[in-house]
This record gives sequence, C-alpha cells and structure tokens, in this order.
Amino acid sequence: MAELVKATPPEDVSQWKDVMVYCETFQNKLTKAAQEMIGRGRVMADKTKTKLIGVVIGSDISDTAKEAGYYGCDRVIAFQSSAFDMYKSRPFTDNLTAAVKEAKPNILIVPGTHNGRDLAARTAIRVQSGLTADCMEIDVEEDTGILIARRPDYGDSTMSEIRCEKHRPQMATSRPGTFEVPPRDDKRKFKVDLREVKVKKGQIKEEILSFKPRSGEDISIAKVVVAGGLGMGKPEGLKLLEELANELGGVVGVSRPIADLGWISRSHQVGQTGITVRPNLYIAAGISGKPQHMVGMANSKLIVSINTDPDAEMNKNADYVIVDDLYNVIPALIEEIRKRKGAENVEVAPKKKKKA
Amino acid sequence: MALELVVITKIVPDGSEVFIDPVNLTLNRSLATNVINPADENALELALQVKARYGGRITVLSMTPPFAIPYLEECVGRGADRAILLSDKAVAGSDTYPTSLAIAAAIKHIGKVDIVFAGEKTSDSSTGHVGPGVAEFLDAELASYVSSVEYDDGYVIATREFEEGTEVVRIPTPAVVTVLTNSNNPRKASLRRKIDAIRQGVIVWDLKEVGLPPDAVGLRNSPTIVKRMIPFPRRDRKGEKITTDNIAKLVDVFEQNKLIKGGE
Ligand SMILES: Cc1cc2nc3c(=O)[nH]c(=O)nc-3n(C[C@H](O)[C@H](O)[C@H](O)COP(=O)(O)OP(=O)(O)OC[C@H]3O[C@@H](n4cnc5c(N)ncnc54)[C@H](O)[C@@H]3O)c2cc1C
Ligand SMILES: Nc1ncnc2c1ncn2[C@@H]1O[C@H](COP(=O)(O)O)[C@@H](O)[C@H]1O
Repeated sequence: MAELVKATPPEDVSQWKDVMVYCETFQNKLTKAAQEMIGRGRVMADKTKTKLIGVVIGSDISDTAKEAGYYGCDRVIAFQSSAFDMYKSRPFTDNLTAAVKEAKPNILIVPGTHNGRDLAARTAIRVQSGLTADCMEIDVEEDTGILIARRPDYGDSTMSEIRCEKHRPQMATSRPGTFEVPPRDDKRKFKVDLREVKVKKGQIKEEILSFKPRSGEDISIAKVVVAGGLGMGKPEGLKLLEELANELGGVVGVSRPIADLGWISRSHQVGQTGITVRPNLYIAAGISGKPQHMVGMANSKLIVSINTDPDAEMNKNADYVIVDDLYNVIPALIEEIRKRKGAENVEVAPKKKKKA
Repeated sequence: MALELVVITKIVPDGSEVFIDPVNLTLNRSLATNVINPADENALELALQVKARYGGRITVLSMTPPFAIPYLEECVGRGADRAILLSDKAVAGSDTYPTSLAIAAAIKHIGKVDIVFAGEKTSDSSTGHVGPGVAEFLDAELASYVSSVEYDDGYVIATREFEEGTEVVRIPTPAVVTVLTNSNNPRKASLRRKIDAIRQGVIVWDLKEVGLPPDAVGLRNSPTIVKRMIPFPRRDRKGEKITTDNIAKLVDVFEQNKLIKGGE
C-alpha cells in the first residue's frame, strides 16, 4: 500500500550503493529473462565496484538461490514460503520492497516479463522511485553511479535516454532477449541468505485457481521467425511457412491482416499491436513492410525479404532480398536446406560428439 | 448492489502519423491525429461486458488535456455511463508515479469503486506502469495482463497471460485489472448514443477537486526525466539481391550464421 503522496527522494543518496536484480523464477527455476538481467547487473556492479544482490522469491528455492549466485550474484536474498509457488502481485511486492529497504541498492533491475513489470511498477511506487520500462540499453556511469536507461520511444523510431538522479533505487526493466545470458560458473563465491517467510492464514488475498502452460511456441523468444503476410494469398501459405520454420527450428509469424483473417492466432502477430521479436533470422514473405509491422521486427539480426514487388518497403530494410513469388522461393529454400542437412548427416554421423 | 466500474483511458497520438523532427530530434506529434489508446478500447469493452452481465455503472476517466473530450464522448457513446476528464496544467510532464497518483486520487474522489479497468500499456509511452501504480495507491488487488474477467460476489476472477502460460486468479474487490490489447473486439458507438453522449457532456475536474496539491505532480515531481532523445540505432541493411535460382547463396549465409543445425 502506498500513501497518496508525492515521491520524496532520500536525503543521502550516497548510502545507496549496490546493484540489485530481481531473479524471476517460474516453478522455482530461474527464468532465462532473469539470467540475462543477472548478467547485466554483474556488468554494472563491476563498473561501480559494488556488489550484485539477487532477490529470489519462491516456494522451494535453496537451489535456485545458488543458481543466481552461479550466474553472477554476490549475495542472494531468498524469500521462501509455500504460498509463493506462483507469482502473486502483492506478496511479491511486499518482499521485494522489504529487500530494497534493507539493502538500499543504488540500482534495481527487473526482467521485463509480464510478471516482472507488474512487480517493478508496484515496487517503484512503494519505494517512491523512478522506473524506466522496456530498456534496450541499461548502463551506469562509473563515477556517479547514475543509471543510464535507454528505451525505444514512440513507434520505436527514436530512443529516449531516461535518468532518475534523485530517487533510489534507480529502476529499469528490459524485454526478455535484450541481453545475453552470462556464463554459469559453479565455482563462483557468493552468500545466500534464505528466509522462511511466515504467511498468516488469509493474509494473501490472491488465489490462483488454475494454470495452463502455454501451448505452441512463444514467438517473442524464437531464434528464427518465418513470417507471412497478405502476399500468401491463401491460408495454405502458412503450411509452407511452417515447413520452412521447422527446418530452421523456428516459428511462424504473421502480419496483422493475417491474424485479422483468423488464419492463425493473434499470438503469432508481429508488430506494434502484436509482439516484438528479435530473432537471429526474420524471413518476411509477402509482407510489404508498413511501419506498424516494422517496429515489431526491425531489430532482428538478419532480415530476408521475399516479395514480388521490387520496391516493397520491406526490401529496403532487409539484408537479403528475393524478388519472386514466395510459392517459388520457399519450396526451393526448403529443398536446399534439406539437401545440406542430408550432406551434414553423412559427415557428422560417424563422429562421436564429446559431451561434458 | 450495483457494481461501480471505472475505466481509465489515455488519448494518444495515432502511431502511424508520428515522425521525428530531423533538426532537433524530438518527436513531431503536431500533425498526428489522436485515438483512444488501443488497449484501453479493450479495457472499456471488457467493462461493458461486465456491466452487461452483472449490472453496474461505468465511469470513464482520463487525465489528458481538454482535446480528449470528443474521445470521452465516444466512450460514452459505446455504453459508458459518464466520463470524467481530469485536466490541470500542473500535471504536465508527469511520469508514471505522479500520473498514477493523480488518477488514484480522482478514483478515490469518485467514491467506493469495485473494479478499475486499465489498458496493459499505452501505445505512446508503453510502460504499463499506470495500472499497477493505481492499484498501489488505492491499496487494491491487481490482476495484470488480463484477457477476460468474471465477477462473483465481491471477487474478480481474471484470466491472466504471461510468458509461461495462462492462469486464472481470484482476487477480492476493490481490484485493478489491466487488459491485454486485442483481447476482445471493441464495439463502436451508435450514432444515437453518440448524440446523447455529446448532449450529456463530460465532467471536468481539476487537482483541487480531487484533493491533490499541485506540487505533488508534474515534471518537477517526477522521479524520472528524459535526458535526451537519440535516433533509433538502426543497422544499415545492404539489401543484397538473391534469385530463386541461386538460393544456395542464401543457405550459405544461414550456415555461416549457424542457423541450420546439423541433422540429428
Ligand atoms: C494502429 C495500427 C496498428 C497496426 N498494427 C499492426 C501490427 O501490429 N502488425 C502488422 O503487421 N500490421 C499492423 N497494422 C497494419 C499495417 O499498417 C499494414 O496494413 C499491414 O502490416 C500490412 O500487411 P501485409 O504486409 O501482410 O499486407 P500488404 O501491405 O498488402 O502487403 C502484401 C505484400 O505481399 C507482396 N506479394 C503479393 N503476392 C506475393 C507473392 N505471391 N509472393 C511474394 N510477395 C507477394 C506484395 O507485393 C506486398 O508487398 C496496423 C495498422 C494500424 C493502423
Ligand atoms: N493520462 C492517463 N489518463 C488515464 N488513464 C491513463 C493515463 N495514462 C495511462 N493510463 C492508463 O494506464 C494504462 C497503462 O499506461 P502506461 O503505464 O502509460 O503504459 C493505460 O492503458 C491507461 O488505461
């Protein structure tokens, strides 16, 4: 609960020193987004010669807390209760707030997942500080300890650099996939501070009635996205894309009209009103490249455009362009990939892979 | 007892019409027309569905300059009972802390509220902080990233989506629900209702009305500041032409980038 008062900064910000990272878990395992944020936090703690404090909340987390250490935390504060088997907004906010008030971190970073953003937004209000969402870059000024948070701005065509100079902790979230997962080192030294949280009966008002794991792929974290637009002309085009996606270990994405037509669920729609993807490879087949689509995929590592129109906007934003009917190109592409895989099989099969 | 429902909505520039001023690198929004923030349209639609099933009164609340009035009338035209515009020069430049604070103060001023509906995020700032922030200031329970809700005798049963899956969570009222973009199909206002809405007008409140001092909000009372804007770091893409006949060249690139895993 927060009082209806303005945000008041602490008198002496120099007392707020370390970097804190919320180590998100799901079913008591660190999420990939958490590992990425630990890596980023490590860099900032090293730069400012301070400690990286991880906060883990869950129902069975003594091993998870160690994982947070292996990925880079110097100290892990772990809050454990059988009630924390799933994310619950208020009690998680209570615990993260308690950790902030106790450890007084200069910086607090939180994975920008749905639950992470829920938690970060509430915690920022509780501790009366500033939070920057969805940062593409998070860094710290070595001498001042000021957090530099850069996020895509309106329509993703500019970036804003946002600072929170007076309030502490300086907070930021980043979308999953923004930073690399750091190496895991089980020789690292760190301290775990495991706390059993006593939850009184009736204290937690949120009750999870059911949970259904995501069916189908999460395109936001896919390494390869094979996307189709109106140029497919018919729903069968999606089958073809799926075949290519399978060959590349990727997933199918679509432009908005395809989702509007109901050929595939919204969870595959890329763009401003869909999902932001940042894969290693984005193949756009029959997609014109309107800005609302582009903002959702412009940061892909490699972009291939397949379009019958040589002047399509997508072509200007692609690394490779094939001006041809996608119904010619994609089958040829699938065939060539299969050919290579077949060849590799012959080569690779006899060698025995050494696994550590 | 009739449910007291509030939908908070921001009127935002239409994304397709905003561009960067090449000289001073600021966003030129002057040419942009405005729209109801997309996720808030879904929030309103969800509130309308809740009202249809369980009864109640819907107040649409927006903290935007007066240009928002026609958009709020549109909301009433779609079926909201009334619209309140919280408009005060002092809020200019507010980040999400004072924005949440001012909106929460206005909701408190409405009186006892059962469910507040917000969008998951705005399309212009897209932080998704205001809904959770309002929940904090109201000391309400929160269900974020929600696609549908039911109401059952003092409880909200909400379907939430997150990276690992979908859950159904039950929270007591007062509750804040943040609604996913595209989670439903927002209805349009009928001409008849729209005319009625314009006749009815929009209630305008200032900070004094909701009991907040001007020095609680605005740019100077925002923890975060925008230091500067920089162009988006785009990679120069070379757009190398490839034909279907020499598709092997593209597959070479895939191999070089380790995009093709050896069959296994
Ligand atoms: C507020 C708002 C939000 C929006 N949000 C999104 C969003 O999130 N995501 C999104 O995608 N869109 C979004 N849109 C819609 C967007 O503006 C475009 O309308 C949409 O992206 C166009 O889809 P498309 O490229 O598939 O279709 P088109 O623009 O019709 O392009 C089809 C392309 O296929 C090519 N083509 C035709 N036949 C073939 C063939 N046989 N082989 C190869 N190429 C072929 C054509 O040359 C053309 O370039 C939004 C719009 C608005 C106003
Ligand atoms: N100025 C505002 N007035 C009313 N509601 C707002 C305002 N700003 C944000 N909201 C609500 O909070 C949600 C999240 O906004 P944001 O945190 O800006 O992404 C929006 O979808 C709206 O429902």
